[in-house]
Formats: sequence, structure tokens, C-alpha cells
Amino acid sequence: MRYGPLLFLGILFTLASSWVGLVLMPNRQLGSLVANSSTNATGAIVLYPQARSGEAQQGAEHYRSLGCIYCHSQQIRPDGFGSDIARGWGKRRTVARDYVYDKPVMLGTSRTGPDLTNIGERQSDYAWHYAHLYDPQITSKGSLMPPYPFLFQKRKMGQGGPSPDALKLAGEFSVGEGWEVVPKPAARQLVEYLRSLKTSFDLPEAPLPKAAEVTDAQPPAK
Amino acid sequence: MNVLAILMIGGVLAVPAVGLWALHWASCNGEFRLIDRAALLPFDEEEPVGQPTDLILNRHSPTT
Amino acid sequence: MSSPSKTFSALMPGDLPEDSSKRALLAEIDASCRVPVLFFVVSGLLWLLAGTALALVTSIKLHSPGFLASWEFLTFGRVRPAHLNTVIYGFASQTGIGVTLWLMCRLCRVPFVAPGLATVAALFWNIGLTVGVVGILMGDSTSIEWLEMPRYATPILFVSYALVAVWAVITFRLRQERQLYVSQWYLLAALLWFPWLYATAQIMLLIDPARGVVQAAVNWWFAHNVLGLWFTPIGLAAIYYFIPKVIGRPIHSYYLSVLGFWSLALFYNWNGLHHLTGGPMPAWMITVSIVASVMMLIPVTTVAINHHLTMWGHFEKLRHSPTLRFVVLGAVCYTATSLQGVANSFRGISEVVHFTHHTIAHAHLGLYGFFTMVMFGSLYYIVPRITQREWPSLGLISIHFWGCFLGLVLYVAPLSLGGILQGLAMNDASVPFMKVVEGTLPWLQIRTLAGLLLALGHVAFVANLVWLLARVFGPYRKPVVAILTGIETPAIAGK
Repeated sequence: MRYGPLLFLGILFTLASSWVGLVLMPNRQLGSLVANSSTNATGAIVLYPQARSGEAQQGAEHYRSLGCIYCHSQQIRPDGFGSDIARGWGKRRTVARDYVYDKPVMLGTSRTGPDLTNIGERQSDYAWHYAHLYDPQITSKGSLMPPYPFLFQKRKMGQGGPSPDALKLAGEFSVGEGWEVVPKPAARQLVEYLRSLKTSFDLPEAPLPKAAEVTDAQPPAK
Repeated sequence: MNVLAILMIGGVLAVPAVGLWALHWASCNGEFRLIDRAALLPFDEEEPVGQPTDLILNRHSPTT
Repeated sequence: MSSPSKTFSALMPGDLPEDSSKRALLAEIDASCRVPVLFFVVSGLLWLLAGTALALVTSIKLHSPGFLASWEFLTFGRVRPAHLNTVIYGFASQTGIGVTLWLMCRLCRVPFVAPGLATVAALFWNIGLTVGVVGILMGDSTSIEWLEMPRYATPILFVSYALVAVWAVITFRLRQERQLYVSQWYLLAALLWFPWLYATAQIMLLIDPARGVVQAAVNWWFAHNVLGLWFTPIGLAAIYYFIPKVIGRPIHSYYLSVLGFWSLALFYNWNGLHHLTGGPMPAWMITVSIVASVMMLIPVTTVAINHHLTMWGHFEKLRHSPTLRFVVLGAVCYTATSLQGVANSFRGISEVVHFTHHTIAHAHLGLYGFFTMVMFGSLYYIVPRITQREWPSLGLISIHFWGCFLGLVLYVAPLSLGGILQGLAMNDASVPFMKVVEGTLPWLQIRTLAGLLLALGHVAFVANLVWLLARVFGPYRKPVVAILTGIETPAIAGK
């Protein structure tokens, strides 16, 4: 082939086709999606998804900075496609509207650890999360998740005994007499973020299944 | 959605049409005559066809 | 067939007889490429060592999570993207650019123009990359896969890339050979496609983020196209040049090359959203990508047939040419990874392998088995010619090849299988998640072993290169005839 300009046009045109199809068109279709607005039983207007609290938004930044997406996904596949719903990871599949306010959207592509879309519903106990972040072996022996001791501070206990938010560490995890481990602000914010992860909300395009339809032959494994 | 549908269907029809036109143009323009001459471009007088270059291992073994 | 003395004098520019003209052109081109191409190549290989080290740390952390766990900057979620960006943008892209520059000069038949431009580009690329990777380790990762380097690093890379693009346009305009070879189409295409991909991703994901899941669509359009429209064309361009060059015969069917190029250009860029099968995206986008993934069978089989038929009858040359070994291995892996990719895109298979280690094995078969092997092969050909020095140790070449080949097989085969088993277990809701995790342990440990083999290969290669470069500065009395013609002369045999 001898004609440079023709080659150039062909190269341009082929990429332009998918740029239109997979970048421009999704943006046109979904780019102006907003939260769903509905009225609840008392007549108040409820928005879903709700904007996160400041603490939780900070926590999202830590989630991003620590690279949690490389082991955890945040997307529920449809019922019957994989076992996401059967495992109790969510009551319905996730749809575009669940992510409208996320920057960045952290869908994840790897499940070395469980999906976290609804971790706020499955596990909202602060103490559990702090212990799990400090050293996953405390709550989940055999887990491949790394410990995050740098999100916590080990310090000498005060006169009056351990602080209210000090971790209860026993046995092989204890840090010695007179010492305690407390979460740093980053750990607090990260846990607030995790507690905010909930998508069990009825949407017109993705209604929750009616209670009678959710029949589990066996209890969902976590 | 209608605009999208029109664009998509239009695109699916237009792309192969352009491709076929380009093929026709190339054929009329003589692009496919002597096409295999381009295959000789990596070679020249210094390193002609038929001369392997870069046989540096196991030199004592026979090679075609 | 040129006689040894003719070729020898062509290699020593100072000894040119009066009627030089075409006979010395290749040598002149090669010599002119020396500094800029070496800068990209050496930088790339240093980043390979860094990336390999990061890879080993990452791999160990996956089965031994307590390893080096107390340091925040080494936490898994940061070393893993640091590894990715180091090998993709530090090693693969820089060696890719170095090989591109040399191929463009050779095929355009014009000595390297404006070497200063390319050298400055290499400098900026390294600076930008260092800033970016350190930024990831310090916590500024964007957590957008394949685009993790923070925003403050990318303008530096952009400057570098702009210089490379300008260089390519100038060289193309000044070309002495008016006809274009298939490799040049691929290289020019890659050079044009990449900035468009990167700019779109930067704008729509970082500078002015799109709403919600549109980011995911852009992310995977971008990431898959870096593979398909940046690395694949450079790799294919190299295979199309080096197989014919080493065996001394032209490509089997040029017509198939044309078909292969245009079908790749048309279909590859639509594949990206198969990474989101089952995800929160409109179904039509996923379906379109799956269809495009299946259509990739056209360019992939075209290229496979072409390369295989070109090699037919010349397989014994694999014993003698490291370039041929690596490049052919790369070509085989290209076919293998593409077929695996087509299979993975089907919904039924995606249901099992998505989110598992199988995807990682697939990614390495592509970027390592295909692209990296082709780059190694290219460097074995290019470096001696631009430095006028032979590889000092044939033993190190063997260690390099076998380390990489065995490491690659040990990496991809077990982890692909392990990923499938992981996916099947995960899809069975009666299997507790911790059991799924335990099941992956042996496969992850094998992968670390494979990584050690790969590391051995890389160290052998860089050692050989450093040794060769040391000889560039010293006096060298042995003739380098054997590099070009493989003809037996008394004083060669590796040392």
C-alpha cells in the first residue's frame, strides 16, 4: 500500500467507530443519570443513592489509595449468573444508578476476597471491622488479606484503662500489658465507608425480589 | 433511544459499505497487482532473499 | 550472498571504500540509531528488573499476606498497580518504542533523524514514570486499572510521547522507500491510536470524570485498547519483520497481511467491554463487545496462518537464532492468548472465570508470552547491530530463553487451571468463601516459583547486555561478521 493519507484515514476511522460506540454513546445514554426519587410510607421524598457523609467519602479515598479494588469487587451479577445473590452478597443485581455519585467507580475485577457491594448490610459492627483491618487473621483465620497495622496506633494505655475504641486483642494478637491499639482517623473513615456500602433499595429498573421469592435451600455462605 | 438506534443501525450498515468501497477502490487503483512485491521490502542488496541473518547459536550444527 | 570481507567493511564506517552507496546503508542506519534506541532499551530493561522485583513481592504477598505487611508503601493494593505500571509503561512501552524507532529507520531506509529529540523523549518518559510509580506507592493511585499513575505524572509522559510522535512523522515524511511494508502500517497505527486512547481516558476519567458507570466503560475501552492497539501492533510489526529477516524468506502471503491488519483495526477496538460481563452496564454494550471479540478470530487466524506458513520448512533455524526463538514463541503465544480471550468472552465461560486468577494468567500470556517475548527477540537482533558488538555469552542467552519459557509455562498453565477451579467453587453457593480462598493457595505458590524462573531469565539477559555495553567502550578486536551472516569464521564461538 502506497498512500500514507489513506492509511491515516483508515486508522482514524476504525478507532473513531468504537470511540463513538463505546465511549460517546454510553455517555449519551447514562451520562445524565441521577439518583432515583421516590416517596416512602410517611410521604417523605427519599433519594437513592444518597450522597455519602464526609467521613465515608474520606473513607472512599482511603479505599482508593490502598488499592482495595485489586481483591474486592463491588458489583452484583444477575440472579442465576454466578452465585453472587445466592451467596448473600446482595438481594438484587447492581445497575448503573447504584454508582452515579462514585468518583472513581470502583467495580473491581478480582475476587480474591468477597464482593463488598453490600458489606454495610452484612457487617456493620465497628469492632469487627477494626479487628479485621488490623489483622484479618483475628476475624477470618486463613484469609489472604494483608494486615493494615499502619492504620492503627499502638500506644501506652492511659491511667483510666483502655480507650473506648481500643481494639480488644487477645492471645497471639495481644500487644502486651499497659499497651493498646487504637484506630487512626484513616481507619475510622475507611470503616464508615464500608458501613455505607448498601444497595438493597428498590429501583424501577431493578426491583428487589419479593420476600417469598427468596428461598434458600441452604444458608448463604459468606 | 431512537437517535441511538438510528446511529447504531446506520453505523452497522455504513461501516461494511465503506469497507467494500475501499476494497473496490483499491482493486481499481491497482493496489493488488504486484502485491507480493511489498513482501520483499525487508530485503535489499546487502541482505537479499535467501540469506538467513542472525544464526549465532550452535554454529557447529548443520542448518539448511 | 555477500562475502565476509564485503560485509565486514560495511560494518566499519571508517573503512568505507569510495563507492559506498547502498552497501553501507544498513550499517549507517544502525549506527545512527545507537544512542536514542539504546536509551529506550536500557531504560526499559532497568524497569523490567524493577517490575520483576515488584512482581515477586506481589506474588508472595498473595499467598503469604504477612510478608512485608507493616509498611504502608508496600501494601498489596499499591505494589500490585506499581508492578503493572512499571512493566506496562516502564518496560513494555519503552522497549516497544525503541524497537519501533529502529524498525521505522530500517523500513523507511533513512538514518535516524533528530536523535536529540528521541533522547529527550526517553528522558522525560523515565522521569514521568518514576514520579508516577512513586506516587502510586505513596498512596496517590487513581485505582483505575491501567491508568493508576496520578495526574501529576501524566503531563510529563505526554511531553515525551509528543516528541516521539513528531519524530515518527518527520521520519515518515523523509522516507527513501516510498512503498510501505506491513510492519510500518502497524507501527504508524499504534503511534496514532495510543495518544487518542490515553487522552480520552485522562479526560473522561480523571480531569472531568464521567457520571457513574460510564467511567467503567471508558476505563475498559482504554485498557483493552492499550493491549490491542498499542502493544499488539508493535508486537506484530516486529514479528512480520524478524521472521522473514532471520530466515531469509519473505512473508508467505502479503495479501493475508492486508486482511489481518484491517480486520484487527476494525474489530479489536470494540472488544473492551467484555471485561464488564454481568456488570451494571446496558446489555447492548456487553453484547457488542462479545461479538467483536469473536470477530477477532479473523485477524488472529489470518496472522497465525501467515506466520506459520512462513516458518514452514525453516523450523531448524530455531536452534541457531535467539531472535527467531523468542519471536516465534511470542507469535505462538499471540495465537494462544487470543483464542483464550475469545473463549473467555462468551457469557458461559465468563461466568466462571471472571473475577478469578484465570484472568491474570490470561493477561500474562498476552503481555508476557506474546509481547515481552517478541521484544526480547527483537532486542537480540537490534542491539548487536546498533552497537557493533556480539552478545558476549551464549550461555546467558540459553538461561534467558529457558528461564522465560519454562517460567511462562509454569505461570500460565497452572494459574489458568487454578482460576477455573476457583471460579467453579465460587459459583457454588454451598462452598464457603474461605474454602474457595484456600483452594487457590497451591496455584498462587506455583506462580511465585514461576516468577523466580522468569526473574532468573531477566537477570541473565540484563547481565549479558551490560557485558556487551561494557565492550562498546573498550577496544574490541573480534570481527562481528558472524552476527549478520552466521558464517563460520575462526575467532567467534561466543567469547
